[in-house]
Amino acid sequence: MNETHLFETTRFGTVGYIDSDVVTLADGLVGFPDHQRYLILCHKPDSPFRWLQSLDEPQLAFLITDPANWVPTYAPKVDDAEVERFGLTDSTPRLVYVTVSIPPGQPDEMTINLAGPILIDLERRIAIQLVLQDETYTTKHRVFPQANRVSAVAV
Amino acid sequence: MLVLTRKVHQSIVIGEGIEVVVLEVRGEQVRLGIRAPKDVTVHRKEVYQQIHEENRSASEVRPEDVPG
Repeated sequence: MNETHLFETTRFGTVGYIDSDVVTLADGLVGFPDHQRYLILCHKPDSPFRWLQSLDEPQLAFLITDPANWVPTYAPKVDDAEVERFGLTDSTPRLVYVTVSIPPGQPDEMTINLAGPILIDLERRIAIQLVLQDETYTTKHRVFPQANRVSAVAV
Repeated sequence: MLVLTRKVHQSIVIGEGIEVVVLEVRGEQVRLGIRAPKDVTVHRKEVYQQIHEENRSASEVRPEDVPG
């Protein structure tokens, strides 16, 4: 059970893991139903960013982050149907991550998806991506304030 | 796709235990009521699509673009 497995990823080279490191999403992420097994890798020590690396596909990894780092008041409501399907109780220890989008070369344009949080049940090592019913949260929450636009002044 | 025409207050039943009712039609908007078992999720399609799109985007981030 504690035997180290090796997996070759395209971005991070070979990673070692044990069985209890694996997080399983029964339905996968939205749009990626065929990939269920993942590892959570740190981007760098002390970084708020993580990578959800697929164990089924070496090229597939999603940039994620704990939304509490950016939106301290974030409190997604999990509806009854989701609770039923996922078997979550109030006392279940859990982690919440959201996906991060960064347009190439434009870190200031980074957005996080607050409408589709990934809930991880730490005891059973399973996870689910919620599709939030209410419209309180956006799929594209800007993390950095928009740079002030400087208008050119005709001289 | 199965195409049905309904009037206000008429319903469609799907499988066992899923019912969609037309509650109100106002201009271009249709208000629908959905009854489904607790373990069935119901979403507005465009939210689902947006989340799919954001996931796709998160899978294309280059590690060198990540701050820190």
